[in-house]
Amino acid sequence: MSDIVFLAASFAFFFVAVLYVYGCQSLKGGGGNA
Amino acid sequence: MTANGWLQIAFFFALLLLAAKPMGLYMARVYERKKTWLDPVLGPIERLLYRVTGVDADSEMKWTEYGAAMLIFSCATLLLTYAIERLQHAIPLWNPQHLAAVEPYLAWNTAASFTTNTNWQSYVPEQTMSYLTQMAGLATHNFWSAATGMALAIAFIRGISQRESKTLGNFWVDLTRGTLWVLLPICIVSALALVSQGAIQNLKPYDTVTLVEPQTVTAPGADGKPVTTTVTTQTIAQGPLASQEAIKELGTNGGGFFNANSAHPFENPTPFSNLLEMLLIFLIPAGLCITLGRMVGSPGHGWAVFAAMSVLWFAGVATCYWAESQPNPLLHGVNQRVAMSGAAQSSGGNMEGKEVRFGVANSALFATVTTDASCGAVNSMHDSFMPLGGMVPLANIMMGEIIFGGVGSGMYGMLILVIVTVFIAGLMVGRTPEYLGKKVQAYEVQLSMLYVLIFPLVILGFTAVSVLAPSFGTSSLSNHGPHGFTQILYAYTSSAGNNGSAFAGLNANTHWYNATLGITMLVGRFLMMIPMLAVAGSLATKKIAPESLGTFPVNNTLFTVLLVGVILIVGALTFFPALSLGPILEHLLLRSGISFA
Repeated sequence: MSDIVFLAASFAFFFVAVLYVYGCQSLKGGGGNA
Repeated sequence: MTANGWLQIAFFFALLLLAAKPMGLYMARVYERKKTWLDPVLGPIERLLYRVTGVDADSEMKWTEYGAAMLIFSCATLLLTYAIERLQHAIPLWNPQHLAAVEPYLAWNTAASFTTNTNWQSYVPEQTMSYLTQMAGLATHNFWSAATGMALAIAFIRGISQRESKTLGNFWVDLTRGTLWVLLPICIVSALALVSQGAIQNLKPYDTVTLVEPQTVTAPGADGKPVTTTVTTQTIAQGPLASQEAIKELGTNGGGFFNANSAHPFENPTPFSNLLEMLLIFLIPAGLCITLGRMVGSPGHGWAVFAAMSVLWFAGVATCYWAESQPNPLLHGVNQRVAMSGAAQSSGGNMEGKEVRFGVANSALFATVTTDASCGAVNSMHDSFMPLGGMVPLANIMMGEIIFGGVGSGMYGMLILVIVTVFIAGLMVGRTPEYLGKKVQAYEVQLSMLYVLIFPLVILGFTAVSVLAPSFGTSSLSNHGPHGFTQILYAYTSSAGNNGSAFAGLNANTHWYNATLGITMLVGRFLMMIPMLAVAGSLATKKIAPESLGTFPVNNTLFTVLLVGVILIVGALTFFPALSLGPILEHLLLRSGISFA
């Protein structure tokens, strides 16, 4: 059971990290850069 | 403090200075895919790897693709290590002690720890990890996580040096070349050098030897009553150590093959091996300064960054050496005073928790080096340092692991602070900040500040929860008062900084600490890498403006002074309140005659 929890937690973290990549990219639109 | 001690510290720095330039220029050639003398041997291996894995070595990646590749690779290798740990009892290979499967919380904590280049160890390696796990699960990560850090630093440097480019290189190529051309050759030579000094390398079961002097031990029996036994034998752990020791230092990983880490005579047998290990820790981070200068076309800038790192390193080692040279004021009695204050047979100072082979100077130097870099190997117990001596390793990590820093992570962490420095300099003179001809605008500053703020947020947040929770937080402490607070603060700081050294004294092998320290390591690695890559990706797209009278030079003393100032303000002052509650308060109370059991 614990193995499944840690497997899911690891995937969840890296999934959030991928979303974070695109979050950082989307910030550029509002950054006011020329 | 002694002249001999200072001489050894100066000798270490002189060797580092000599090694930095050739190392840096070599790495620049490796990552720019120029010819090197190792190409005839490694070129065919590299091409074979690309063919087998289907990597197109000539395709370039945007920063988002580069980041996604790094995340996929890290996730896959984390799960691989977790699986090896959980299945080690069932794999009929290299487990002569028949060690059981690693418990899930601990296995996950360790997998996260080695994936993030932290190498925090909530376990006793020789009692927990089989040889297979040490080699296939942990030592491999020492290479992969180091090569990943170096790849990202190079990606950032490309972001600065490239003109109007959408790409930062190819993660798989950088990972492969860093491993094959930089890490492996140096590790092979260093492992052999360590073996020549007495480091072991075998797959034997543990030895049992008869003690020359049998020891009488009194311990609680099953019924709680004291039982006295006479111990006549000792188990001496064995294993494939030297091969893991070399990359442990070179990759700034720091995870010991044995629990005593580099204080163990098999891991660090002689003063020469001690010097070699310290040099290996700083070799790549120092070399990357020169790589930076070469790749951005401004060697002076590389040396200016090197100078800033050196100033902060020297401040740390001088403070730590001074603090550890003081006798503990609470030790009374003639015998202790003689031993602690220096005599013909004694190095003097605080020798508690230190190896007599290394003494005060080399313990203070090792502690400073290992925490300036995000290594975490130790040759003395930081928990036993005097309060201000112990504060130096803690403060080094709190500055963001940028004083030479982890392999790669130290360089990109420093470059983020360079961006902040250039921004502040721009504000001072009322011009749009420029860094080596690239305009630094709102987007880069926002993401740089995100990088800077994540670090204290995760450290102070988890520390606060832990100190307020007697049932799962403070119950793990071995000391109360400010020293206990420092133990918890150090654990989260070490994890977020991906250092991995333990202050010791805290039993971190609990569900709470295994889970939260694991999360802290992942956040401290990946959630800081991504904004850094975004800054690199943004800088890469920009034009390089020609130098003018208003350009802020980044290759002179003024820049170095400003950079050091920004690092101290951002790093040290962020954590000053926490340091006041820990080592500073403990120092003041110790001077008043108060200690905490």
